[in-house]
Amino acid sequence: MKITTHFRKTAFLVAFLAALGGLLGVGGASQVQAASKVVNISYWHVNAQTQGGAAVDDLVKNFNKTHPNIQVSAKYNPNMYQGLMQNLQSAQASNKVPDIVQVGWAYTNYFGSNFKYLTPTAAQSKFDKNSHFITKNFTKRTLSFAKDSNGKLVGLPYSLSTPILYYNKTMLDKYGIKASDLATWEGVSGAAKKIKAASGNYGLYIQEPGDTWAQQAVLLSNGAKIIQKGKAAFDSKKGQAAYQLYQDMVVKDKTALHTPWAQGMDAFVNGKVAIAYTTVAQASHVKSSVNFDVQAITSPHFKGQKAVVPVGGSMLAITAQKTAQQKAAWVFEKYMYDNSSLVTWSKGTGYLPPTSSALKDPTFKSYVNDNPMLKPAIAQIDTAVPWTSFPKNGLDAEQTMIDARDKILAGSSVKSTLKAAQEKINEQQ
Amino acid sequence: MNSNKQQHRVLTLLYLAPTALILLVFIIIPIIYTLYLSFFDWNLIAPTKNFVGWRNYLTIFTDPVNQKVLLNTLGYIGLLLVLNFVIPYVISIIVQFFIHKMQGVYKIIFFIPSLFSLVVGAMVFAWIMNPVSGPIALFLRQIGFTLPNWTNSGGLAIVMLCLITNWKVFGYNFVLLLTGLGSIPQNLIDAAQVDHIPKWRLIWDVVLPLNKSMAFYVLILTIVQGLQYVFTPINVITQGGPYYGSSNVLYHTYLNAFVLYKTGNASALAILTFVIFLILLFLEIKFVEGRDADAPI
Repeated sequence: MKITTHFRKTAFLVAFLAALGGLLGVGGASQVQAASKVVNISYWHVNAQTQGGAAVDDLVKNFNKTHPNIQVSAKYNPNMYQGLMQNLQSAQASNKVPDIVQVGWAYTNYFGSNFKYLTPTAAQSKFDKNSHFITKNFTKRTLSFAKDSNGKLVGLPYSLSTPILYYNKTMLDKYGIKASDLATWEGVSGAAKKIKAASGNYGLYIQEPGDTWAQQAVLLSNGAKIIQKGKAAFDSKKGQAAYQLYQDMVVKDKTALHTPWAQGMDAFVNGKVAIAYTTVAQASHVKSSVNFDVQAITSPHFKGQKAVVPVGGSMLAITAQKTAQQKAAWVFEKYMYDNSSLVTWSKGTGYLPPTSSALKDPTFKSYVNDNPMLKPAIAQIDTAVPWTSFPKNGLDAEQTMIDARDKILAGSSVKSTLKAAQEKINEQQ
Repeated sequence: MNSNKQQHRVLTLLYLAPTALILLVFIIIPIIYTLYLSFFDWNLIAPTKNFVGWRNYLTIFTDPVNQKVLLNTLGYIGLLLVLNFVIPYVISIIVQFFIHKMQGVYKIIFFIPSLFSLVVGAMVFAWIMNPVSGPIALFLRQIGFTLPNWTNSGGLAIVMLCLITNWKVFGYNFVLLLTGLGSIPQNLIDAAQVDHIPKWRLIWDVVLPLNKSMAFYVLILTIVQGLQYVFTPINVITQGGPYYGSSNVLYHTYLNAFVLYKTGNASALAILTFVIFLILLFLEIKFVEGRDADAPI
């Protein structure tokens, strides 16, 4: 439990003053005053207007209407979780932190060890005695996504995503490739060769943003480990074999496209790449941009292995420092986990809701039926693993993995690159 | 007399004070603080800063990634000088001395892009130049060529990013240089024409020396501002990739400071950049301005 001394002092002072007030017979009056006082809290999110920002605004507006004592102001942070973390750094440096923030999974350890926050468990026992809000709403697996390397729950899972395989059905049909051929990465590689030979188009694009989330999924689906006992472990026979297949497609066969994320997705939606491996959060963008039949299936695995994907998305963490703000943040957080709030949120962003009851909600189910590309992503949640977050120097470690990916895709030896990257990360652990 | 002098001095200080204060708060103190931070290992928020001495500076020169980034920076400077200084200069000379019609129209046409946001420009270029599905790639494919995948090659990515910056900066530099050329006294040019001096000699011996101060200003602007401008398309399109191939000192400083939160490394890089710019300025002043130091800049 992370309760700061400052907070303890404040809590003690509040309790003391309340007791004093009670003794002097002014308790009633001060309580009335406290109840009518409005608590202002700020909520930092990463959702631009095109990525669910409107849903965030709706949720906040509705909350402010139904909770007259709490006023939430939402602040959009550009450049996703990285941008939010940058702003949070500056806010912390100038001592003006927001009260509740979205934290991307890759930052779990970094956030946990560098910021002051109130864990959900602490918030629950402080403000909702005897409540089982957390265990009632989240499965053990979902909660495991939000734990740091010491096993401490840092926040509550808020948005979930998994990588899925989108394919241009019109193109695959033309060349006699079935969706079932794409169940394994070997099958994907074969299909890509066929497409390249027949049409000159690329067969595959795997997303390449400023993280190696999708590449980790490829390695994990060959039975490789990214991290083991707090140390990097991707430089294994299985890890090398997985990267080798990927490198061969890009460098040797030239059947897979290697380019930054936005350009890669442009190429896919314009029909120049047959298959794209990227997050389910792209589903609505893909659906609205293509003029061919697009479908999606679950992540492929290597022959004889099981598909394993790391979960993407974010959690909500309480960074408020004063009790009143912490309490308001907790009330707001619980409101955000109402089924109706989660469904609004999901529809707006393309992320999957984190609670099992929202997944079963009839409104959400009918939404999924209208958007069948979400189905494979939902199916994968039960077997998803937490996003790799190294205990120490995690941001540096992620950058090292990005560097290794870029080197390998430019043609460097898989074996020596992975070895060097693993050694570099483990030196810092 | 004496009190008058003193009053004069007080007034001078008073007039200078606002600018000096702004300079102190926003430029000098941050530079000193950056210098201080460059000797520590810190992440901006941790309660303790670890003193590491010269280690951050040593890594700049020993780390192959930093070396690559420094080399890229030289590449950027060279390319930017050609694209944003030499070419606009040549064109402004052509417009001023060889074309007599529609000067105003050229000015406006060239100037328009500098009104647009560089982020918008970068995104539009990324779409147009998409090596697989962009309109230019599709057109080239029709006529049997392929657009090289420039996002995968550091060199080509640098060229492309410089071109995007060029689109933004060209018009502004062009107008500045043209204004400089326009302010050269007409009687000098008329005199040269009366003497039947060839046009190229007129330009080389009269126009260029007379326009030196404006050219000098644009030259410095090209290097210092160009490297900053190029930051935007790097951030939007390549994020320094492939494998730092299109990164430069400024982007790498940003990456260290605000993505990896290695404040010490970033500060050391920033100080190094500062020193390089200082040296460049010094060389400029010494060799370009040296002969007539009294000339107005």
